[in-house]
Amino acid sequence: MDPLAIIVPFVPALAALLIFAVLRHSKPGAARLSVLATLVTFLLSLILLGNYVAVGLPRVEYIGQIWGSIWLDPLTLIMWAFVSGISLLVHMYSVRYMIEEPNYPRFFAMLDLMTATILFMVSAADLITLLVAWFLVGVLLYFLLGHDTDRPASGRYAFWTQITYRVGDLPLWLAAFILYKSYHSLALPVIFAQIAAAPNAVQIWGMTVPAWTGILVALAAFARSAQFLLHGWLPYTMDGPTPVSALMHAGIVNAGGFLFNRFAPIFEYTGLALHIAFVVGLITAVVGSALMLIQNDVKRSLGYSTMGQMGFMVMECGLGAFPLAVFHLIAHGFFKASLFLGAGNAIGDARANDGVPPDPIYVYIVERRPTKPLRLPWLTAAALTILVPVLVLSLSHFFVATHLFFEQGVIVLLFFAWVTGAQALFAAHKMTHTNPWQLMGGILGSFVLVVIGYTLISHYFARFLYSHEASLRLYASASIGILSYEVLMIILALLFVGGWVLTFFGDAQNLGERISQRWQGGYLAIYALLSRELYINDLYVRVTQLLLSASRRLNVWLRWS
Amino acid sequence: MEWIVLLLAAVLLPVFPLSWIFNRLIGSAPGPWGRALAILVLPQLGVLLLYHTGPLALLLLPLSLQRIWLMLVLFTSVFYAFRAVSAREISIWSRLMASSGLTLSWLLVANGAQVHSVALFVLALSLPAALLMIWAGMLSDRMGGAYLGLQGGLATVLPRLSALITLSALALVATPIFPSFFGLLQVFHRLDLAWLWPLLLLLLIWGWSAGRFLQDLLFGIYRGEPMVDLGLGITWAGAVVLFFFALSGLIWSGAWTGI
Repeated sequence: MDPLAIIVPFVPALAALLIFAVLRHSKPGAARLSVLATLVTFLLSLILLGNYVAVGLPRVEYIGQIWGSIWLDPLTLIMWAFVSGISLLVHMYSVRYMIEEPNYPRFFAMLDLMTATILFMVSAADLITLLVAWFLVGVLLYFLLGHDTDRPASGRYAFWTQITYRVGDLPLWLAAFILYKSYHSLALPVIFAQIAAAPNAVQIWGMTVPAWTGILVALAAFARSAQFLLHGWLPYTMDGPTPVSALMHAGIVNAGGFLFNRFAPIFEYTGLALHIAFVVGLITAVVGSALMLIQNDVKRSLGYSTMGQMGFMVMECGLGAFPLAVFHLIAHGFFKASLFLGAGNAIGDARANDGVPPDPIYVYIVERRPTKPLRLPWLTAAALTILVPVLVLSLSHFFVATHLFFEQGVIVLLFFAWVTGAQALFAAHKMTHTNPWQLMGGILGSFVLVVIGYTLISHYFARFLYSHEASLRLYASASIGILSYEVLMIILALLFVGGWVLTFFGDAQNLGERISQRWQGGYLAIYALLSRELYINDLYVRVTQLLLSASRRLNVWLRWS
Repeated sequence: MEWIVLLLAAVLLPVFPLSWIFNRLIGSAPGPWGRALAILVLPQLGVLLLYHTGPLALLLLPLSLQRIWLMLVLFTSVFYAFRAVSAREISIWSRLMASSGLTLSWLLVANGAQVHSVALFVLALSLPAALLMIWAGMLSDRMGGAYLGLQGGLATVLPRLSALITLSALALVATPIFPSFFGLLQVFHRLDLAWLWPLLLLLLIWGWSAGRFLQDLLFGIYRGEPMVDLGLGITWAGAVVLFFFALSGLIWSGAWTGI
């Protein structure tokens, strides 16, 4: 037994207990202990990760006899370092940010409990530990989001989160019991080994066990990672304290990506769940990004941005790029944490000085004076926009992972990356600048650096997390028939090119205004639909009210007995 | 004779429609302590009756009747959980939720669980319900009634009592690491996969019910008369009971889960 490994998740749990027991009335004491415990957890996580990189082999440590086991594999160690790192940032930020809030020590104790629970969740090596931690995250998040009890809104939105999380708990319960009853073991490594030995050996309800559990695990991940139809809670979690929003958007919401990776040995033998994940992720990314653009509340807009990112992350899993999803969740986590935690400074700076440079955009939009736009020649810009991303992406991927170049998932991902890159360059071309060559050069240089960095890091991530054979099996599992694949690619290409053409002609011929004049009713209906967030939350609220009314009537008939 | 035992047990380990009698019995017990005692003792009497009056009455029924009985049990559980969603009075909420949970003990009985396993399962649900009855009485002493949602923000004016009510409610709705969670795992463990779907619905409704309960208890601004919170002694006593209850779930989880 390695005591160093076992104590990692217990350090923040112990800090929480100490705060509840003896530091309930000491603000500085509670904050200091909490930050110190998280720092120790972070350092221990880094030491264990470094140790594993140097010499390690995956192993399981047992705390209890039936459950309570910890799986020290690369996924756990990466997630431990990430979770404790984000938690440390949030703790340090909260020391001053929350100082005037009531129940300050309790807030830190709850943060510590949440950190400990997530550490247990990502390291669980058996089904009961996973279920316990998975459940507790939802419960603790409810109390963290509802920290400000004076505001009924924070209670309402904490409840939305709690009930959506509960919806996501159910498929995981069922998946856990299907696995336990099929393989007669609670230990995940044992179950995965049995599945690898005979993937189709056990069938229930007309499908193999990996197929059923794959779908159920994907459903559980959808609820945690705010996928379409289970996303209504996410934009409203902003009603909690800012550090909790940061922890939520940077860490907790990524649980879906983690779950896909934890159950990757199952997904190696079932394609159906991955295809569902791809479609749901794609819809979520599109809907999340569209709703983000239409919001007039900056915080809610950030919430929908997270939804879009989660859609991309799930889509990556659906394409078989599991390690990329882990890299994505870490990159997105730090990026979102910095956005949330820096929001206060940005607002403060903006109040002192709007910081907008007097460039042509400012002159045109704010001062409403005509400007003469300076842009690259149209043909040069079009060539750069379309060709450069193809070249950069293809070359960088070719050099690091040639063997994966012909996998369907990789090609779709490169296609999306190309569209995103082209879109970024196109947007840069539309901006005006005194020296357009300098602007485009800067954007191109950044693009090349980002792509090469991203490709290299994700490649090393993949090598660290999965064996070469496992990666190939995951890509193969995510593949579809060649005809369906080609039809899908053609549809995607037509959609993107059509979108660009529409944007170009829309700008050139003032199409938006003409459409809005001609079909104003339809235009307003779509605007209302989007601005009311597709009426999804309204629908849920209405259904809830009807059920509540039925429950009340039943109680009156039966005289509350 | 078996039928009489079965019907009596169905009153004490409530199965619809006899669950109505169980709820009337609990509701008519004198005072909060009486109600707490009733909810602790009556289900245990039901377990004793089933296991100590000769062969198990349920298992003597033909297989088709057993299945109908178990379907009725699952219906009772979901039905009472659904009814608890709209309950605002704490002792009513806790006895409806307890009825919803206690009826599941029949599933353990039908699947060959030992008497101590069923007794522990029943205790895991009736102890938090009993505590809630007591806290309801204390809230009633202060407010004239234990209705939630009429006055918001009780957590601000009665932080100790609210904390105890919150923890007891969580213990009742099978929140980890309380024994009710591990007890529910045992029910899942013993049932055939095809029977798990109604239990998943039950878990969802319990979550919904607990969410509404806590929302009415904790959030909002209190605008009523000033109130005195629980004394330190009672708070510590309640906290210690809940702490050891959770600890017993954690340490002896094998006994609760039956795995």
